[in-house]
Amino acid sequence: MNVLEIKDLSIRFHTDTGVVQAVNHIDLNLKQGETLGLVGETGAGKTTTALGVLNLVQSPPGEITSGEIVYKGKDMLKLKKHEMHAIRGGEISMIFQDPMTALNPVLTVGEQITEVISLHQTCSKAEATRHMVDMLEKVRIPAQRADDYPHQFSGGMKQRVVIAMALACHPKLIIADEPTTALDVTIQAQVLDMINQLKKESDTSLLLITHDLGVVAESCERAAIMYAGEIVEMGSVEDIFDHTAHPYTKGLFNSIPSLDKEIERLKPIEGLMPDPTNLPKGCKFHPRCPFALELPVCSQEEPRNFEVTPGHFVKCHRCSNWAETLTMEEKEGEDNG
Amino acid sequence: MANILEVKHLSKYFKTPNGQLHAVEDVSFSIEKGVTLGVVGESGCGKSTLGRAILGLNEVTDGQVIFEGKDITCAKGKSRKDVRKEMQIIFQDPFSSLDSRMSVSQLIAEPLKITGLVKGKEAIDRRVSELMDTVGLAGRYKLSYPHELDGGRRQRIGIARALAVEPKFIVCDEPVSALDVSIQAQILNLMDDLKKERGLTYIFITHNLSVVKHISNEIMVMYCGCMVEKCAARELFRRPLHPYTKGLLSAIPVPSLHVEHKRILLEGEITSPINPAPGCRFCSRCAYAQEMCRSSAPEPLEVEPGHFVACHCISEINGI
Repeated sequence: MNVLEIKDLSIRFHTDTGVVQAVNHIDLNLKQGETLGLVGETGAGKTTTALGVLNLVQSPPGEITSGEIVYKGKDMLKLKKHEMHAIRGGEISMIFQDPMTALNPVLTVGEQITEVISLHQTCSKAEATRHMVDMLEKVRIPAQRADDYPHQFSGGMKQRVVIAMALACHPKLIIADEPTTALDVTIQAQVLDMINQLKKESDTSLLLITHDLGVVAESCERAAIMYAGEIVEMGSVEDIFDHTAHPYTKGLFNSIPSLDKEIERLKPIEGLMPDPTNLPKGCKFHPRCPFALELPVCSQEEPRNFEVTPGHFVKCHRCSNWAETLTMEEKEGEDNG
Repeated sequence: MANILEVKHLSKYFKTPNGQLHAVEDVSFSIEKGVTLGVVGESGCGKSTLGRAILGLNEVTDGQVIFEGKDITCAKGKSRKDVRKEMQIIFQDPFSSLDSRMSVSQLIAEPLKITGLVKGKEAIDRRVSELMDTVGLAGRYKLSYPHELDGGRRQRIGIARALAVEPKFIVCDEPVSALDVSIQAQILNLMDDLKKERGLTYIFITHNLSVVKHISNEIMVMYCGCMVEKCAARELFRRPLHPYTKGLLSAIPVPSLHVEHKRILLEGEITSPINPAPGCRFCSRCAYAQEMCRSSAPEPLEVEPGHFVACHCISEINGI
């Protein structure tokens, strides 16, 4: 069953220099208990998508120009303000990227967690406090530290406080926006471990936004790759990692220095991300794509989403005849090898 | 080959209101010419301070820095200026390390003018064009200002500035950390090419372990101001010996579904470097810590040729 369905979502920002097309017609769904990784580089539209889901895109300058976000059969974009307030932080909660700024510096961490609980659950103050202590212990922070302020905690501990807040009301869906990017790698391992474990215990769905494909391999069941406001490839992690189809996804993998193989020279993606106020015609990736020269259609027409194998979607003209492309590639491989 | 740089018992302390902060503690190592030494560690482990202390950007509290046989620890005035022509730095953040009121050509010409290496307006202009070409910046950006360029191009300006005085040795302080992976790969390739063409020696400071493995010949792991392990890059990933290195390497998320993962989860967090307790800095997180670890700090030992480890329990842990 799908917990969340995003259909044809587009988000624009009106700025002095032009209209930024941040998110362009994306479709995405998330099943009960599933972890979906949303991957992309800076400016790909990952965070804007997440904010769109919670109806948090600041307007103006932002504007959701098309699409629906269906949660439990209701389009969240049509909900009234107070209905949205009830869902946000309760049934759907968010873990922000930067734990240093996500917490209020003038309230103790205990007060901040209790606030979430008393906003969304009908309970006495004492019950809320008891629940707050439970949550802190769940994220392995001693209860006596509830009276401390955020600046007295380290980065890893602050992020655990943010996680405790996000989980306090037993959400059905968590949106985690780069939850470990600001953390060191040994602390990242602790935090990811904790998110995965707590998620399993409560059968929550998780939309995990990240730029790190390593994190995706470790925590996700499915992944969606974003480029210039579009989802260019989506599928199970096996599809994405072992049967990579889109040239951009391939470029991403080739750019990462490998830990287990010896590579003399990296193969970066040539060129730069397109300017979001002036996106190229046709396929948005074609100016950087090594295959675009062979196919004139790439610079003319926007590719549609091809389902190359069940559940594996690729937005690329080369996939219009996937079987043929595959045999071509095998041949190339033989020629090279 | 001869050592281009030797660092002997280098320490750097900072005074803070809460006591003395031991940023770098008794670090010794040497680099051969043409070798890239990667320095890895988590935030606050003293890797940037080490880089800056070597260049004399931070005054050293104790120890010696010897560059090409000369002690430059306390070099000042003209002798410091002369050393600066040989040793340069590429900074981490291409957004704050460039003067936003200078154009690209002014930025690259600045070191040429300061050192007086190239004289005359035309000669400087020619040299700037050459340097832009070397680092892959198109000539049309000459009159652009940093805010008009993206992170990758800005970092190329930083590299051109460092190369302008034709140094032999460059400290690269997290030069790709602020960049996206596709741009990061472009910059790493550029740095690799420059090293081969010009026979440069790098100290490459980073927290990204896959980057450090790719670019380095040797790697030094730092924890809380101390060097805990140093050896050839391949050796470190094949057979890490220090318990911290083991934990650090196993914590990296690998972008592949076919890598067996035995994660050693390090509990706790980095201890404070302010007025540190005697003994091994890692012992509060170490699963093998004994009484001895809490009372005396371990010295780095060469357990195998070229493989240095600072740990009391090294033989117990690894069965050697």
